[in-house]
Amino acid sequence: MLPTLSVLNLNGAVPQIAVAGAGMLIMLIDALFHRGSRRWAAYLALLGLAVALARVVESGASAETILDGALARDGLGMAFALVLIVAAALSVLVAMDYLRREEHERAEYYALILFATAGGLAMAMANDLVAVFIGLETLSISLYVLSAFFTGDAASREAALKYLLLGAFASAFFLYGIALLYGASGTTRLVEMGTAIRLAGTQADPLLWGGVALIIVGVGFKLALVPFHSWAPDVYQGAPTSVTAFMSVASKVAAFAALVRLLVVVLAPAAPLTSALLALLAVLTMTVGNILALAQDEVKRLLAYSSIAQAGYILVAAVAGEVGAAAVLFYLLGYAFTNLGAFAVVLAWSRRGEGRLPFSDLAGLGFRRPWTAAALSLFLLSLTGMPLTVGFVGKLYLFGAAVQAGWTWLAIVAVLNSVVSAFYYLRLVVIMYMREAEMPLALQRAGLALGVALAVCAAGVILLGLVPGVALDWARQAVAVVLS
Amino acid sequence: MSLTQAVFILLGGMAVLGALGMVTLRNLFHSALAMILALFSIAGIYVLLEAEFLAVVQVLVYVGAIAMLILFGIMLTRDIVGRASAVRNRQWPLALAVSAGLLAVLAVALVRAAWPLATYAPAQGGVADLGLALMGPYALPFEVASVLLLVAMVGALIIAREARE
Amino acid sequence: MLNHYAFVGLFGVVAILFPVAALVVGALAGPRRPTPAKRARYECGLVSQGESWVQLRVQYYIYALLFLVFDVETVFLYPWAAAYGQLGLFALVEAVIFLGILVVGLAYAWTHGDLQWR
Repeated sequence: MLPTLSVLNLNGAVPQIAVAGAGMLIMLIDALFHRGSRRWAAYLALLGLAVALARVVESGASAETILDGALARDGLGMAFALVLIVAAALSVLVAMDYLRREEHERAEYYALILFATAGGLAMAMANDLVAVFIGLETLSISLYVLSAFFTGDAASREAALKYLLLGAFASAFFLYGIALLYGASGTTRLVEMGTAIRLAGTQADPLLWGGVALIIVGVGFKLALVPFHSWAPDVYQGAPTSVTAFMSVASKVAAFAALVRLLVVVLAPAAPLTSALLALLAVLTMTVGNILALAQDEVKRLLAYSSIAQAGYILVAAVAGEVGAAAVLFYLLGYAFTNLGAFAVVLAWSRRGEGRLPFSDLAGLGFRRPWTAAALSLFLLSLTGMPLTVGFVGKLYLFGAAVQAGWTWLAIVAVLNSVVSAFYYLRLVVIMYMREAEMPLALQRAGLALGVALAVCAAGVILLGLVPGVALDWARQAVAVVLS
Repeated sequence: MSLTQAVFILLGGMAVLGALGMVTLRNLFHSALAMILALFSIAGIYVLLEAEFLAVVQVLVYVGAIAMLILFGIMLTRDIVGRASAVRNRQWPLALAVSAGLLAVLAVALVRAAWPLATYAPAQGGVADLGLALMGPYALPFEVASVLLLVAMVGALIIAREARE
Repeated sequence: MLNHYAFVGLFGVVAILFPVAALVVGALAGPRRPTPAKRARYECGLVSQGESWVQLRVQYYIYALLFLVFDVETVFLYPWAAAYGQLGLFALVEAVIFLGILVVGLAYAWTHGDLQWR
């Protein structure tokens, strides 16, 4: 069939077009008039994200495809897209004052955040493995560059190089996996691939097994699952903090979106194998992430290991396949607010020109900065999974989904891990409120944008924790509408 | 053994030789040259598979542009030019085990798979078919690919600009 | 199919054999009376200076990179051009968007002085 406007139906791709278009506009304006403040770029980025968000919220879920079957406008894709857009908008807010403070305020930053988001949106909504891959690459390459954005900072460059090398390696695995799945099914469209696999039966096809294994390795690298996690701590620590905040949320949301879609739409017939593999990875990821986090003495690196462990918890529900999809979605929404908020506090408190925030710097801040400290405490409690926060509800649903799917032992391991994690999360709270500062930290004035971002994150954590019903219903309804 | 098979074995052997040379040669510049051999041999294999357009692209993009970029990259860096670099570090047994595992998985998958034969021979290397596919079912990856190229270009400029200043 | 490429293969064989033969014949037939001047490295006739390895400027890399991006762009547009007769107006729009996105990048590189040879 010849492509025409009606077949391609661009109307449904408005979120992607708005996000990428805003990025393009920023590049163009910056190319033509690149003088003075770059604040306009941040506002333009927020505008593009707002348009995309409005479009996602308004259009609602319908199991139809656009762009000749390449893009799924189903509930699953739209819901993950929403989380991603919210995370990107918060990242822009978080970065505005920070970039100025560190004297790296450039318009390209916001354009790259938008391009990364557009790539992530393609991953979340694509019904085609080639599109998933190109989305993944757009997201990844934007993140490599953003990691190196503080040019002149050796740690930032080292982070970018490590991320680039291991990320490229992971992409090769992913691509080889796609090739094998294409060989097994004869199509790159996810829905048709699922049909072909179901018809063929899964017992005998070595191409399918090989493809699944390689794709899981590739996604595992991007999600920093153990044993593919070794890049994460150094990259998270070396990258500019605002980038770490974005990366720790956006790449997880996009990769989990693609993983959940693969598990539900394509690999459902292969569930016994994929579940066993993912369960193994989940146990390793949670345990290793938590144990290594215990040994840290610096907040940014601690949060890096904590992000690894958090991916492990989310994987627990992904093991459950279709049953766990809503839990994955809801947890990621909460995680976006929580983790971005925690990194925003790190960024507000860390010294100028330095990404690190040693534990000793936290001492006494509970009283010197009561509001920010309260916010950080809230985020840490939520990451632990304390009641009344979104972390609690989220974990309840994650582990509940695993139990429901018959993975009780996995849920028990996850709960034990949460208990271990309480030790290092709560230690930070204790230091903030219980210890006197030996050398009081010279604090920067937090800007308005950062304040807004922190307030939104805190409000999200509390509201989703106290009245989770609405969001949970939304998540359940969203994942129920899957193109398949 | 048919002529096709003989040519395939020759090209495949050259590709493997190039790849091995790339990872084992001690001079980084020589590694890059070995990589070009591997890339070139793969272009030959594409010809053998009647994917002429792909073969031309392989030569144009990989042998022509990417290999040149890599050579420039090596020659930019004073410290590594012309100096023998360590090929192995302490983790080589682990790397060997992982690589062997991957090879085993792929070999089993590729040998045991029931490969269907294509029933349709594309005309003129399938370029026109490729064009139709890129503009239709693959329009999304096509457009995202141009964003990807833009990101790669801008990113490299941001990073390289600092090196120049 | 393969027959067309037999000439390419033949060309490759000749291309490899020719310099090898020249060197071998030269080594066998030529007299050998080395002097320091003859043993010196040959570099366009002048006395060569410094080492044979030179460090390139980053500009070369930037140019190569821009070339690569537009090289890949051409590769994507070629199939579009080959199928142009069968494609409608919308494909033209798609190709223009594809090009437009990259032109933004070129404009960015241009106005930020990345194309200037310094």
